[in-house]
Amino acid sequence: MASVDPFDSALDLLRRLNPKHTADHLNNIITLNPSLAEDLLSSVDQPLTVRRCKQTGRDYLLCDYNRDGDSYRSPWSNQFDPPLYDGVGGAGGVGAGGASEGAGEGAVPGERVRKMEIKANEAFDVYRELYYEGGVSSVYFWNLDDGFAGVVLLKKASPSGDATSSGVWDSIHVFEASKRGRHTNYRLTSTVILSLATKGASLGEVDLSGNMTRQVEQNLLAENDESHIANIGRLVEDMELKMRNLLQEVYFGKAKDVVGDLRSIGTLSEGQRERDTQRELIGSMRR
Amino acid sequence: MSSNKAIVSSFVEGAPPGELADVIADIKALTSSTPNLINELGPAFEKYNEEQFTTVKLPGGSQPVIISSHNSLGDGRYYDTESASSFAFDHATQKASGVQSHVLEGAQTDLVNSTLKSLGSYVKEHFPNAVYGVYPIEDDSRLAVIIVANKYSPNNFWNGRWRSLYIFDPASGALEGSIKVDVHYYEDGNVRLLTNKSVNASVSSGTGAGIAKEISAAEKKYQEELNRSFTSLSEGAFKALRRQLPVTRQKVEWDKVASYRLGQDIGGGAARR
Repeated sequence: MASVDPFDSALDLLRRLNPKHTADHLNNIITLNPSLAEDLLSSVDQPLTVRRCKQTGRDYLLCDYNRDGDSYRSPWSNQFDPPLYDGVGGAGGVGAGGASEGAGEGAVPGERVRKMEIKANEAFDVYRELYYEGGVSSVYFWNLDDGFAGVVLLKKASPSGDATSSGVWDSIHVFEASKRGRHTNYRLTSTVILSLATKGASLGEVDLSGNMTRQVEQNLLAENDESHIANIGRLVEDMELKMRNLLQEVYFGKAKDVVGDLRSIGTLSEGQRERDTQRELIGSMRR
Repeated sequence: MSSNKAIVSSFVEGAPPGELADVIADIKALTSSTPNLINELGPAFEKYNEEQFTTVKLPGGSQPVIISSHNSLGDGRYYDTESASSFAFDHATQKASGVQSHVLEGAQTDLVNSTLKSLGSYVKEHFPNAVYGVYPIEDDSRLAVIIVANKYSPNNFWNGRWRSLYIFDPASGALEGSIKVDVHYYEDGNVRLLTNKSVNASVSSGTGAGIAKEISAAEKKYQEELNRSFTSLSEGAFKALRRQLPVTRQKVEWDKVASYRLGQDIGGGAARR
């Protein structure tokens, strides 16, 4: 038997085990196979953590893309918390040269990309209010050799005061924008992590949790930096609409259908009789 | 090493319906440096099979039978009341062997048989693909009633399982149990429905027909309740998380998004066209 890549096996396992506890499963897999730690942590999406920016008092979201060691960069102040000990990024980012390589951990965008990042945060803050009517959003950008990349994060928890049902939504949209002649090539990978739970005396406990990932690629014109943000905004908005419909279909349609496939509320013989009658009817109409 | 064993055991116990073999293949690939670990999973496989009511076809038999702690004879052997046979079960390979005759003799034998008969009619009318069993437990003082229905569709990336377990006490007429539903959908994602509903009923007649009737009523009521919960979650918690469209019923005008705040368009929806 050909040897299987343990990384693929880890991803397959995470696709099978209860998605409500992905973080625990991830830590367990890393304990079993520590060499997978870096690859797994950067490719497996987990529910986002909220932190309050010390400078602005606004909430922001934590992920691998605004992390440097144990510190996270606030999109509102551009400051790391806790501050980076060597002073890098201490006063609004390092120079354009230093931080552009290596998308990912702790990357601080160069001056132009940081300006776009500020605008994108403002734009998605509006988007968040319009669609989520609450919650937290954060956008992080970083430089690429032939363009830039970023992640748009949105998180909302439904009223925790509601005792019978609760929900948490996490959106993680990672994109790359690369120059292709006159056009810009946008590649977007979106994951939504959605957890719902409800309980009651006659219902017992119901937990519906999971995540879904979709990708899209488009070549668009971007005359200036503002139009980049508009393009990314439309891509994310369309993707979220598509994914919300998909989640609705899977969580409430598919799940219910499978339960109905396991057990039929009506009797099976009656269902069979109805199908037979219908077949006869159709047959007699054809005659 | 022991903690690795605990981790791998938890993976086995968390395997979704019909996906145990896939989970084991993943575990093997992840622990290839310690190939012996997989041989230590006997207790985890046993726990999985007994808790999930794994079904197995006996050699020469046509109907699958159930594995559970309630029909265990110890030493890896189990029995089936309907076919009046016992068998050895390999928890790692999920294969049965060594079939012997096992005829029930005891105070509850008649009740077991009449419950099997009535339950059979109910199961046949409501489960396209289910296995059921009735077993005397606790020195013939109670009955365990089990129904398990599986539907696997790996080509379409979903699998499901319905499990019910009831304990009937002939002395008091009490019927207590639980219904659990487990559905896994995993096309470009991983979505899991896990439910647990406890049932408390009483069977005044104390007959097999009465037991089956109570189970039938409880399960019908539960499925209707569960279906309602999908609607209420969709209309409630899900809607409260993210709107399908803004209040304005229009998508964001990204070219003008910077002016939204000044125009006080957020949430109002009156001014913007």
